Amino acid sequence: MAQLLNITKTLQKLTVSSRCRLVPVLVKPFEEDLPRTSIISTTATRNTNFFNKLPAQDLWKGITSVSNAGKKRGRGKNVSKSKIKDLNRGQVIGIGKANILWPGLSSPIIRGKELVEQQKLPEDPEREKKLIQLRDQMGTFKHAKLSPIERGWSGAKMPGRSIGPPDPIGEGEKFAGFDSVVLELKTVYNMKGNFGRKRRIKAVVVTGNKKGLVGFAMGRGLEARTALRKAKNRSGQKLMHIKLFRNHTVCHDFFTQFGSTKIYVSQKPEGFGLVCHRAIKSICDVVGIKDLHAKVEGSTNVNHIMKAFILGLIRQKSPEEVAEQKRLHLVEICKENNYFPNVIASPKECRTHEEIPKDEVLDWKQYCFDGKVVLRKKKPPPFYTRLKSYEVYLKKQEKLRNQDKVRINLLAEYGELRTFLADKYPECRAYKPPKKEEANDEAA
Amino acid sequence: MAAFRLVSKCLKAENLSSAHFTIFKRLLNYSTVEYDEQRDPRPSFFNKDIQNLLRTLTRVDLHKVFRRRKLGDEKVRDPEYKFMTDEELQEALQKAQQKANSLLQIPPVVPARKPISKILSLDPELQGLETSKMVFTDITFGVKDSDRLIVVRQPDGTLCEAEWEVKNRINQIYFPQKGRSVKPPKMFQGTDFEDLLKRQEYEFILDCACIQFEPNDPDYQRITSITYQHINDNNGFDKLRSTRHFGALTFFLVWHKNIDNLLLELIETCYADEANSLIELYSKIKKVEFEKTNDLSMIEHYIKKCSNKKGALELALQAYKEMSHQKQNIEKGIKTAHGMS
Repeated sequence: MAQLLNITKTLQKLTVSSRCRLVPVLVKPFEEDLPRTSIISTTATRNTNFFNKLPAQDLWKGITSVSNAGKKRGRGKNVSKSKIKDLNRGQVIGIGKANILWPGLSSPIIRGKELVEQQKLPEDPEREKKLIQLRDQMGTFKHAKLSPIERGWSGAKMPGRSIGPPDPIGEGEKFAGFDSVVLELKTVYNMKGNFGRKRRIKAVVVTGNKKGLVGFAMGRGLEARTALRKAKNRSGQKLMHIKLFRNHTVCHDFFTQFGSTKIYVSQKPEGFGLVCHRAIKSICDVVGIKDLHAKVEGSTNVNHIMKAFILGLIRQKSPEEVAEQKRLHLVEICKENNYFPNVIASPKECRTHEEIPKDEVLDWKQYCFDGKVVLRKKKPPPFYTRLKSYEVYLKKQEKLRNQDKVRINLLAEYGELRTFLADKYPECRAYKPPKKEEANDEAA
Repeated sequence: MAAFRLVSKCLKAENLSSAHFTIFKRLLNYSTVEYDEQRDPRPSFFNKDIQNLLRTLTRVDLHKVFRRRKLGDEKVRDPEYKFMTDEELQEALQKAQQKANSLLQIPPVVPARKPISKILSLDPELQGLETSKMVFTDITFGVKDSDRLIVVRQPDGTLCEAEWEVKNRINQIYFPQKGRSVKPPKMFQGTDFEDLLKRQEYEFILDCACIQFEPNDPDYQRITSITYQHINDNNGFDKLRSTRHFGALTFFLVWHKNIDNLLLELIETCYADEANSLIELYSKIKKVEFEKTNDLSMIEHYIKKCSNKKGALELALQAYKEMSHQKQNIEKGIKTAHGMS
């Protein structure tokens, strides 16, 4: 009797979830075999182990987390909570490996007027595969791929990405036409008296309406999203106005400096584009500058570049101011206009030639850069130009120098490439591969 | 010393004839109108007064003459900025004006040339010496292209002066002019030309024609005359203003007594001075006298005497008169309001 009690205890210990199907099967023989107890006592199986003693939650925790002490030593770098898999997903009670119909569980008890009987159906080979596939998908979440236009400066990182206009303040007006760009997003730490190292995210955002309004700000937060939001909204409240020349470029060339970051900015004609540091390009995009060349000397710290550039933009003088300051006409001369003297700005009163002191700076570039000169290094010729083989190559290329023009002329004149012999010998023509449709027709 | 050079043996001179142009003689229902030597336009065209009137009618706007143009495949350049005093600016503007004057020189209006058929010598003993024509060219430095001696020896031994087509080709081969091609480009033929006209690319057509052809070339006169007629019918005068071709267009219209559309446009856009100049030009070229009692009398007289579009012109003139009258009244009112009368 005591043995029987033991057995029932062990049976009770068995977890209900996985082995419950076995219980009725096992219980029945005990009732039948009560007098023959010796058989049961010899087969004492231990069905408890590490895996069915603990719930799934604890098991997963054991392999996906590291103790605080361990973490400090650098352990568990490759474990994360995202690796936890819910093995119950996709499983339904009553439907298992053996495809058995259980009336009242996985099928109705009465179908029509007949009583449904428990029966074994043929096995479903797909079921196992589906379950495995479902488990493989878990924990491997991929971010949606960004379109090349939405991408930032590098990969899936935030710097260089646009995050939309600042949020409207209260129920005020919306920031219509504004756009913000992230310039910096990084983790920063500081020491707290009771917490120790405290981790936060710092974001620097610049916003503008593409028509000359621009603002920049920094925001910190525990999460990247809050930091970005703070920086974006703060930058919307620190707007500055910037003068643009013909709505596409800076008013004039200028030199600007912040700390050891020096920038030489030059005005460029329409269609030139933005040739500069990526941070300057992002700022130009939100300000509305479309054509500009900038050379950064010294430190390329993004914060310093941003501050130096915006400082320079603010300090610009409009052409009218320049003309008034110099008391001379400011005239633009360019080849596209056939060197017509195009007056950009005129002063109220113009000086005469005698009134100009001899040592006054009248050169435009010198005036703009305040006497500073941009270092323009001459690019050394590539190494191969000194080789003999390069000379040979050039000689061989010489006979092909007009080939492209001849090609175009022939195509324009005859609609095909042909030699001067083509009139006399019609077969002297360049081979034309047959068009796809024709080839298909022939094959048919 | 005249240096002669032999050009390739098999010159297909006969292929070069204007055969490929004959099809397009009645393009877009426009017929070619050439200046001929019976009624020589040169004395009238080169007259100083007439040149001045044509210049006035061109209505020169320096900003349009020196407008921004794309310069082929060159990179965009940085503009140059300069500080200028008043005098320097005036000087620079004057230079620009002079430049504009030379840029706006009207292409000469001359009668179309006649085909050459001058035989220099007949040498039957040379018959059969060569199977193809031989072209001899005088490439002496400093000779004008039009005066250059170019002769052809035919296979039958005849030595004759080269035809115009051959001459043009040889000149272009030995002394190439920038922008001109040996064969006239396709843009002057068929649907391409029609398309250009439809798109109203008049300045482009006329500029290209100036580069490609000599002014006495029948092809030049064909292209320009068709373009001028198209402009006249489609009221595209504004496209040619401030260009060198407006004078030639006006001269063409006056020469063929077809100024009604231009006059109508001038009156409608309130350029009465220019309308008067146009009538003056007409009277000078066509030797017709008009009464000159007041501002608009000449125009009125012209409408009565020579116009084909009397109704429209009279209506426009009436509207113009009413408008100028109203303008005067308003000005008077403003003056009295300011207490200036």
